[in-house]
Amino acid sequence: MKRLTFLAGLAALLSAGTALAEPVNLTLWHMEQPPHRVQRMQELLDEFNKANPDIVVKQEPQSWGEVYAKAPAAMSAGNGPDLLFTIPDFTTVMKGIDAVVPVDDLVKELDAKHGFVPATLAPYQYDDHVWAVPAYNMAISLWYRNSALKAAGIEVPKTWSEWKAAAEKLSADGKYGIGLPANKQLYTDQTVYSFMVNNGAADIYKDDGSIDFDKPQTVAAYQAYADLQKLSPPDSPSWTWGEAEACFASASCGMILQFTVINTYDTQAEADPADLGVAPVPHADDQVDSATISYSNAIMLTTKDAAKQEAAKKFLTWLLEPQTYGRFLTMEPGLFLPVTNDGAEADSFWKDPVVTKYKSQVETMVANSKNGKLFGFTTGKVFPSIGAISAQNVIAETLQHIVVDGQSAADAVKAGQARMAEITAKK
Amino acid sequence: MRNATLPFAFVAPALVFLAAVLGWPLLQAVWLSLQDVGVIGSQGRFVGLANYAAVLGDGRFWRALLRSLVWVAGNAAVQTLAALGAALILNQQFPGVRLARTWIILGWIVPTVVVVIIWRWLLSTSGGMINPLLVQAGVIDRPVGFFASRESAMTTLILINSWRWFPFTTLMLLAGLTRIPGELYEAARIDGAGAVKRFTRITWPLLQPTLLVLGVVGTLLSFNVFDVIWLLTAGGPAQATQTLPVLIYETAFKGYRLSEAAAVSVITSLLLMAFAVAATRAMAADEAER
Repeated sequence: MKRLTFLAGLAALLSAGTALAEPVNLTLWHMEQPPHRVQRMQELLDEFNKANPDIVVKQEPQSWGEVYAKAPAAMSAGNGPDLLFTIPDFTTVMKGIDAVVPVDDLVKELDAKHGFVPATLAPYQYDDHVWAVPAYNMAISLWYRNSALKAAGIEVPKTWSEWKAAAEKLSADGKYGIGLPANKQLYTDQTVYSFMVNNGAADIYKDDGSIDFDKPQTVAAYQAYADLQKLSPPDSPSWTWGEAEACFASASCGMILQFTVINTYDTQAEADPADLGVAPVPHADDQVDSATISYSNAIMLTTKDAAKQEAAKKFLTWLLEPQTYGRFLTMEPGLFLPVTNDGAEADSFWKDPVVTKYKSQVETMVANSKNGKLFGFTTGKVFPSIGAISAQNVIAETLQHIVVDGQSAADAVKAGQARMAEITAKK
Repeated sequence: MRNATLPFAFVAPALVFLAAVLGWPLLQAVWLSLQDVGVIGSQGRFVGLANYAAVLGDGRFWRALLRSLVWVAGNAAVQTLAALGAALILNQQFPGVRLARTWIILGWIVPTVVVVIIWRWLLSTSGGMINPLLVQAGVIDRPVGFFASRESAMTTLILINSWRWFPFTTLMLLAGLTRIPGELYEAARIDGAGAVKRFTRITWPLLQPTLLVLGVVGTLLSFNVFDVIWLLTAGGPAQATQTLPVLIYETAFKGYRLSEAAAVSVITSLLLMAFAVAATRAMAADEAER
């Protein structure tokens, strides 16, 4: 009897111990700072934490401007996050300091269940592992007003020749036919690369890791860009994304290349879905299909604690469930695009009021994103110098030599090749 | 003995504090500059003076140094002229002068990021006010990009930074002006000295100590300005506004060459220290002459 009482007491103690066990705490760093995105993220986290009392996920929003320096320092000091949002080149930086845990099994499982869009997974698959779980996609498209094109008597341009002719026709009455940036900044990297991929110059590395930037296709892409850029506002050499959107919203620019203009157009311009046009980025005259630059944003696992890893995998699995995933994507409706096949059909995505209003535009954006590529991540091999090449905006810097210094496209691309080679040599 | 050590006891806390917040980080920077650390948080090897050799042999360092000197000289000239003019006006007695003295500091107390947003908007070709005003006034034929060319970008940056900082200089000069005895001006008037002569013979010479201090402090502050430049041009276009602080940031956090950036920082610190020592000696000599 005494033994039974002892065992019962022990069982009670153990069960009480389990009940009182500390939940697994996960810290999530993301760079979606606007308050409405933070709020949506918090709603999702509250829901997950409530459904999983043994796990507590808390968010700590960061900025893209600081995280490249802050995250490695925090990891080094032992104060880093357990989950960290990323883009492909940032992943190479974190991988370089051994701060990322491969997620091969989890991605395989999620791929079988939801079907990742291959273009969103590719930038994270190298060195025999998968280094992050794709979360959302962003792809550059061509934005315009249907009414403006109709008034000018032009069709939506598909080739570079048609594009230049359209921009020239739209350059009238103090308006600028197109708004293309020429700043030494990520936005310009993105728009220039959108030209490069449309002329067969997507690869900037050879298989052996040497630089493959200086080639006729790249020179032609820069020349086409510079020709169109002349039709842009004179302050475009200092533009970032915001100025381009403002130029389009005020109808000062006839066309722009942008991930999305839906939010700005809906809140600061006509908000007429029938008039807002979006199309694939035009391609070189001798090419057949359009491609674009796409940024697959993903989530890295940065904890080496086994319990935390399990909890993180549970959270990521939950996040990609269609009923949850659409609400995650619509933290910024009309910008973040699905990376999974069932996510692309999820009601939770398409029933968002803004997505519903601009459904045809979002459908075009999703279709464009499937033809997306990213510089440095096109050959299946990833080289460490891509982080520094990307961070130093060498693609944009090359354009500035043409637009600001008046160099020929051939000379500027040659200098760009030398600069990339110099960076590669220092890595 | 007690009297001899007492002054050291008084300054010891300040020295310890300075050693902790300045000396230790500087030593860390020197140690970092002797290694080959790339990304912050990663490990490096000892490479001796290799980073210094690389930096001093790189044209980018010398071009950035030259731009820093242009930046400092431009800011000094514009701020001194604007502040002197404003201080001379505010040193007069007229209705509303007290309000004007208060208002003038507004530009200085506005946070940098707000200053940047205001000026970006004002200078924008999409809805900005300055381009239409200049076109209407016939100064320009069509809108221009103020940050689009090498020449206009640096000039525009200097003007914006001067707009931000000249109120501070104005207040310092105003304080200097109020210390000039009024009797000197009265005597000069009685002797028939005009406004120009009173300025060149009384105001300007007696403002020299204030101007000297402002020159030293202003040079050190201007040289280290990073926020306005980074937020407005990020060193562009085509590196036209890449001063040494911008080069240090880009090397460390965009080029992922932390040790090389530390080497540039150490060289910059040595340059500024040399300037500060020379300026302090000049001020001491000036004081002795008086």
